[in-house]
Order: sequence, then C-alpha cells, then structure tokens
Amino acid sequence: MFIKSIKATFIRDWITQLRAYPMHFFIGNVLTVFYTVLGAFFMYHLLFQGHLKESFEVYTGTTDYMTYVIIGSLAYALVVRTLLNVSRSLVTELRQGTLESLMLAPFSRLGYFIGNMLQQMITSLGEVFLSMIFCFIFGLSLSSINGVTFVVSLVITLYAYFGLSLCLGAVMLYTRDTYISQNTLFLFIFLVSGVIFPVEYLPQSLNIIGACLPVRDSIFALRAAVMNGVSIESLYTTYVRLFLLGTGYFIVGYSAIRKIERIALEKIFG
Amino acid sequence: MKRFMKVVRAEARKQFKNKIHNIWVVFSMLIWPVLAFAAAYFQFKPFAFEAITEKVSYLNDESIMTYLMIGYFAMVFFRSFVQSAWEFSSERIYGTLELIYLSPANRIAVILGNAIASLLINVWMFVLFMTGIYVLFNHVPLMNVPVLVLALIMMVLMSILWGMLLNALFLFTRDSGMLFTVLEEPMELFAGVKIPVELFPLWAKGIGLAFPLTYVIRLLREVVFLGRSLLEVSSLFYTCIFICTIMFVATVFILKWGEKHNAITGDMALF
Repeated sequence: MFIKSIKATFIRDWITQLRAYPMHFFIGNVLTVFYTVLGAFFMYHLLFQGHLKESFEVYTGTTDYMTYVIIGSLAYALVVRTLLNVSRSLVTELRQGTLESLMLAPFSRLGYFIGNMLQQMITSLGEVFLSMIFCFIFGLSLSSINGVTFVVSLVITLYAYFGLSLCLGAVMLYTRDTYISQNTLFLFIFLVSGVIFPVEYLPQSLNIIGACLPVRDSIFALRAAVMNGVSIESLYTTYVRLFLLGTGYFIVGYSAIRKIERIALEKIFG
Repeated sequence: MKRFMKVVRAEARKQFKNKIHNIWVVFSMLIWPVLAFAAAYFQFKPFAFEAITEKVSYLNDESIMTYLMIGYFAMVFFRSFVQSAWEFSSERIYGTLELIYLSPANRIAVILGNAIASLLINVWMFVLFMTGIYVLFNHVPLMNVPVLVLALIMMVLMSILWGMLLNALFLFTRDSGMLFTVLEEPMELFAGVKIPVELFPLWAKGIGLAFPLTYVIRLLREVVFLGRSLLEVSSLFYTCIFICTIMFVATVFILKWGEKHNAITGDMALF
C-alpha cells in the first residue's frame, strides 16, 4: 500500500509536470539562481574588485566568495523548489477539485508525500544541474569536493527540507493561501540562513530564529563538503542537528496536516 | 477635464474599496521589501569599503544604509505599480473589463485612477518604515533639500507613468505572470538598486537603461550623496522628463491599439 501510493503519486505528478505545467516554475527557479549569482558576481568583481574584509575569511574559512555564494544559491533553489512542490501539493488538490476524491481513496498519506517529494527531487536536481552550467562561468570551483560527504549531506538536507515542507503545507492547507506564506518564508530563509553572506553578521535575535530552521545547517554541510572536502565524521553534529530538526518538523507538520485535512474537507465549498 | 477627473476619482475609489481590507498588501509592500532590504544590507557586510573610495566616493560603512535605502525606496514605488497593473489584469478574469470598455470613460483616466489608488494604498507603509530607519540610522547629512524634493516628485511622477504603461500592456495579454517574472528580479539587479549602474559592463548597462527606475535611483543618489545642485543634475532631469513623455505616448498608443485589437477579435474576456 505504502509503496503503491509512492509509485502512483510519483507517476501522476510526473505526468502533471510534463503536460499541465509547462516549464513555468522550472525556468523561474533557474532564473532566480541566475540573478542572485549574477548580482553577487557584479558586486564582487565590479564594485569591490575582490576586496573582502578579513572577517569573511574568519567566519567562513575561505576566500572563494563566488563558490560560497553559488552553493548557497543552489541550496536555496533546492529548498524553494521542495517547499513549492511538496507544501503546495494538497492545496493544489483542493484548488483542482481533486482533494475530495483523493481523500475517498484508501491511500497512504506518507506514501503520497514521499512520492511527491521523489518526483520533485528529480526536477529540482535537474534545475540545479542546469544552473551549474552558468555557475561554472561565474566561478564555481569543485576542485576540493568530497563526493561521499556531498551525497550524504544532500540526502540529509532533502530529508530536513521534506519535514519543513510538511509544516508549510499544513499552514497553506489551513489558510488556503500559497502566495503570502511561501514568499514570506522564502525571503526569511534567504535572510537568516547564510545563503549569500555568513550568518555571523546578523544580529543575535535573528540568529536564534535562523538556527531553528534546517536550511542554515544544510547549507553549512553542503559547503563543507564541496569547498573543504571534509569527511563525514567531522560533520557529525551538523547531521544530527539536521536530522533532529527535520524529524521535529516532520512530526509537527504531518500530524497538523492530518487534522487540517478534515477542516479543509468541511470547508471545501466555503 | 471635469469628466476626466470624475473617472479618475471613481476608479481610485473603486480600487480603494476593493483593496483596503486586503491583508496581503501588508506583506507584499512592507514585509517583503523589508526582508529584501535587510538581506541586501547584510550582503554588503563581507566587503571592504576602503578599496573602492576612488570608484564610488560616497560608499562606506556609514553610508551604505542610506545608499540602499534610496534604492529600495524608489524600487518599492515602482514595484507597487507592477503589482497594481498585475491586479488590474484580473478585471479581465472577473469580466469587468468589458464593462469599462463599454462605458464612455476615458481609458487614460481609468488607469490613472488605478495607479493613484495603488500609490496611496501600497506605499505608505514602506514610506513610514523608511522614515523610521532614516531617523535611526542615517549618517548622511541632507544637502539642498529643494532639489531633493524635486527629485522625489520626479520619482512619484515616473512611477505613476510606469504603472500606467504596465496597465496598458497587461490589457493585451492574459499571461501577466510572465511579465512579473521579467520585471521583478531583473529590475532589482539591473536598475542599480544595490550596485551602481555605472560600473556595469555594457550589455548590463543597456538592460538597465530600459528601466525608468535606473534614472530615478541615479538622480536621488547624486542629489543625496554628492549634493548636486539643480543645474548640475538638470540633464538627468531632462532625461527623466523625456522618458516620461515616451511612456505617456506609448501608453496612449497601446491603449488604443489594444482596444482595437480586442474589438476585432471580440474575445475580451477570454483572450
């Protein structure tokens, strides 16, 4: 049952992706990476001509600003994509009018979301690889990447994002709004998660909230894997924190969705 | 003229009633710009300003806040009109666009009313926020206030005309989301909200010149940071007025053309 739900959702979403929503989100997301990286490129090369403060190296342990920014931007694209797809899945069903029939079917909720996640993972990794083409032009360097650490970091990252996206999904299904909640969260994540600048520059209060979101740790782990080529053991605490955060968000989000489903069904015409 | 004003007032009032209870304006016009502004501020933190004094003389650790404020302040004005134009395209979906076209109301007056309403509803919160930030963090003494006031008036005028042009464009197509994608992020990057356009390579400068926002930001920064007199920035002012004229003529032309097009194809609501 569980596997069947995963498979069914995966195939259905795949067909939807290809037929109903032509490239709109896909291109939009790649463009966002492009503009972020291009902006950073201009700032670094044209305005400041590579003059960084010493504090940047102290905080990040690197002077390769472009690679630092590019990895942050790609991870940000990944979280945006996950949140866009998985969180919106149920509210989209509601809008399409398929939520009712979906709820009548004896399907595994968890399987549904996982199938959803797997499908979007392929699309978003496609986006990331497409974006990497121009990222290399802007100075992405993968010379010291540790492949194994990178893959492990990526898997745990996706797990944590999955949990977060269920929480957002619950909010969306309840408020029936996608626009406000998603954009507010995206901009907030962009501000507090160290996407294009080290979080050490932020005031304390924002840092505390930022630490509660899994995005910061995930970007840290991905950067460590790509830029410093560290081994898995040295990221152990980050992984544990990511796993705990992801699980926490997952439990909260999943149980909230189960409750809100009923409310959403009752309000279906109202 | 009296009839013209009547239509402007009526449309503005309609939009007012429509939007005033809408909570999402708070997000799109206050919270999101504030978050983006904060991110831009911290993005500058890793850079050493000492290295660029000969290039951009006025940019340093103290002035960066004011520098970005000017950029985001002007951008929010322009963005509010992108948004209002986007919302105006929903008239088509509601089926009320046909009613507007059937009435003898002046089309320019309608979209002017729309633009003025969105100016009043959308930007006041951000203006308040910016004033607060200015009072708290400003390190740049204000020079020649009269020129600054003139520049601000120019900003409002240009952003209204920009909004009218977009409104006219949106009447052409149903796919307004696309224009949104084209206008949101590129405008922030290429109009020099964060990085002075003068430093861009030629191709990027070219894109920047297509946005009226570029000129407004340049004008405001020259007045605030370099204390330019009216005479010194007069050529910039003339450029702005010239662009305003082009935008206005284009709006009139596009409106006429769009209406004709819709009348021939006859699918105003569905197209």
